[in-house]
Amino acid sequence: MSIASSNASMTVPVATHTGVNAAGLSEKVSIRNLEFFYGDSRALKGINLPLYANKTTAFIGPSGCGKSTLLRILNRMYDLYPGQRATGQVMFDGENLLDAGVDINLLRARIGMVFQKPTPFPMSIYENIAFGIRLYEKLPRSEVDARVEHALRRAALWDEVKDKLAASGLGLSGGQQQRLCIARTVAVKPEVILFDEPCSALDPISTAKIEELIDELKQDYTIVIVTHNMQQAARVSDFTCFMYLGDLIEFDVTEKIFTAPTDKRTQAYITGRFG
Amino acid sequence: MANDHILKRFDEELERLNSTINEMGGLTESQFAKALTAVRDRDTAIAEEVIADDARVDALDVAVQEQTVKLLALRQPMAIDLRVVLSSIKIAAALERIADYAKNTAKRGIVLAQASPPMSAVAGIDRLGRLVRSALKDVLDAFADDDVGKARDVWNRDEEIDQVYTGLFRELLTYMMEDPRTITACTHLMFMAKNIERAGDHVTNIAELVSFRSTGQTFAETRRKGSGALYTTDGAA
Amino acid sequence: MATARVNALYVRRRARNTIAKSLAYAAAAFGLGWLVLILAVLLFHGVGGLSLSVFTQNTPPPGSEGGLLNAIVGSLAMTLLAIAIGTPIGILAGTYLAEYGRHDKLSSIVRFINDILLSAPSIVVGLFIYEVMVAPMGHFSGYAGAVALAIIVIPVVVRTTEDMLRLVPDTLREAAASIGLPRAHMIVRIAYRAARAGIVTGILLAVARISGETAPLLFTALNNQFWSLNMNAPMPSLPVVIFQFALSPYEEWQKLAWTGALLITVTVLALSILARSLTARRT
Repeated sequence: MSIASSNASMTVPVATHTGVNAAGLSEKVSIRNLEFFYGDSRALKGINLPLYANKTTAFIGPSGCGKSTLLRILNRMYDLYPGQRATGQVMFDGENLLDAGVDINLLRARIGMVFQKPTPFPMSIYENIAFGIRLYEKLPRSEVDARVEHALRRAALWDEVKDKLAASGLGLSGGQQQRLCIARTVAVKPEVILFDEPCSALDPISTAKIEELIDELKQDYTIVIVTHNMQQAARVSDFTCFMYLGDLIEFDVTEKIFTAPTDKRTQAYITGRFG
Repeated sequence: MANDHILKRFDEELERLNSTINEMGGLTESQFAKALTAVRDRDTAIAEEVIADDARVDALDVAVQEQTVKLLALRQPMAIDLRVVLSSIKIAAALERIADYAKNTAKRGIVLAQASPPMSAVAGIDRLGRLVRSALKDVLDAFADDDVGKARDVWNRDEEIDQVYTGLFRELLTYMMEDPRTITACTHLMFMAKNIERAGDHVTNIAELVSFRSTGQTFAETRRKGSGALYTTDGAA
Repeated sequence: MATARVNALYVRRRARNTIAKSLAYAAAAFGLGWLVLILAVLLFHGVGGLSLSVFTQNTPPPGSEGGLLNAIVGSLAMTLLAIAIGTPIGILAGTYLAEYGRHDKLSSIVRFINDILLSAPSIVVGLFIYEVMVAPMGHFSGYAGAVALAIIVIPVVVRTTEDMLRLVPDTLREAAASIGLPRAHMIVRIAYRAARAGIVTGILLAVARISGETAPLLFTALNNQFWSLNMNAPMPSLPVVIFQFALSPYEEWQKLAWTGALLITVTVLALSILARSLTARRT
């Protein structure tokens, strides 16, 4: 299952990014020559990209550029739908996660995802979190309680819901639901968390709370976020990747992308000159 | 540099900012030139004019600040736009300082008109002034044409200005030692030389800002680490 | 401004609008009128016969007083068995259509056949079971009746299960998958949960549908004048008893037929209201 030459080739992308001081950065996920197809149409064209550990990487680009597609490859979400396939390599812990032999459920437990619309399960707030914990571990009730509390605290939701854990998760506000989903993801103890436009359905205050949360989560997780909101990408990410029509146009330190991007198309997009 | 945003109002505002800077640059240049004339020709009328007109430069500086604050707050500029806005604030501040130095030079010119300074020293001031003035003119052209090459040229000329200033400083010291009666006049000339040299430094700063505005890097930075992204791929390939 | 726009074109359009609206109201009133009339007649004839003995005594011989106990119990037994057989099959088939076979060719075929079955005349179902069960066994039976009713239940449950599962947003499925939940668990623990009210509604509607069926029972369970809990023998049921008693010349029997009809109608009405309130609570 693991690729023999993985260790040797693992270091290549870092070395090619001469612009950044790669010292102190370790690649959690390495995307190499990735192509993606919806049926016959090619949605991603030869993507090469490192995702650095304990850093936040933002994918930006106009609609249809492939940024969400790229995100959904990282936890093999596309597997749910027939006719979609990926080629190339996505190396994660020395293993190409595109390989047929990869246990998808275990992979998804390690690479969690938070969606555009809040998606609480139709059950109580407590159960929404405990559900995921019990999937992988048989724990005594008291320990599950502790883990639920920890996850909710981590998602900055504990104080708001501690008195109504038995209430339905669907009764929370949009922003609270989204934080519940983050808590649910955190409870499974992933290594990487993918955010697919997590604030597009939220008001600015809830958005700020989620952004603050993402910033905190970075200490323990590798974070990838797809967003339409460029200011948001600028605010929360360490690295930014601009995509256009299935190509990765530019990848760099976020500060560089938003002050002095190298590619004209990146500049045109982030300054609002597209079309 | 602007004029192709999806939001047309944004273009208009950026253009207005640019033209305010250009206007301020033109006015500063003429203030500076007039101050030099006043000193050289011992013309107190022109000197008074320079002193009075400094308020106009200050007003333009305030206008630039207002426009940039508005752009930052309402348009959230990014990349080139952000650099245009940031460099505009700093260029306006530099121009305002240059105009201040012009004003100060004109004031001293009035005092000097009553004294009898050594004429060769006055000619030295004029020479230094003309160097800085031509650098100022070129850097304003570089700004208007977004010409980084020209800005770099101006930036490289700072050394020459410094050398002329140092020479003039020594010359003035010599006069004062030779003839203590010239000390008052020469002290004024010394401050003038210092003012003009400082104006030259601000011109150099503007040259840096023209480069930053266009490329995101200052000349010092370019020399230090070279340009280029982490990496880019050419999508067309 | 406003008056300037009132030209011939506008006037004509307004007239047409009024005509169409009146026609729609008239059609609705026509349909509702008959329904109210049916309910009124039913109440008028049925309420008089309601008494405790209806629920405590068996169907009487001609010309004497009695109740509907054996028919009610027979109906209940066959309906319950039919639901017990039909619901799991229906839910599983609906799950296949909505979850597993969404993009398969087979599912469009299954869906098409299910739709035909949904609208198949119930007498055909009765005849079919007569051929495959009653004839080989050599006698009518409650089992045959229950199977016939189950065949009517299945397409209803398949349909509602599929529809309700499809209403569950895909993002919820993805969310479940995103924490590493295997598909079967996702369906049972997330999708069914989210669609529960709708699926239960479908089952209730199926119960309502079969509790009034006469034709499939005539050929399968037949009838029984006496108390019987033996599902392997002919079994009485309310619809068949109503059918038989209503056509008889005996006044007592006719009265019981009206009462039975009222009972069925009230039951179906209650089930429908329950089903509606379940779906209403969901949204």
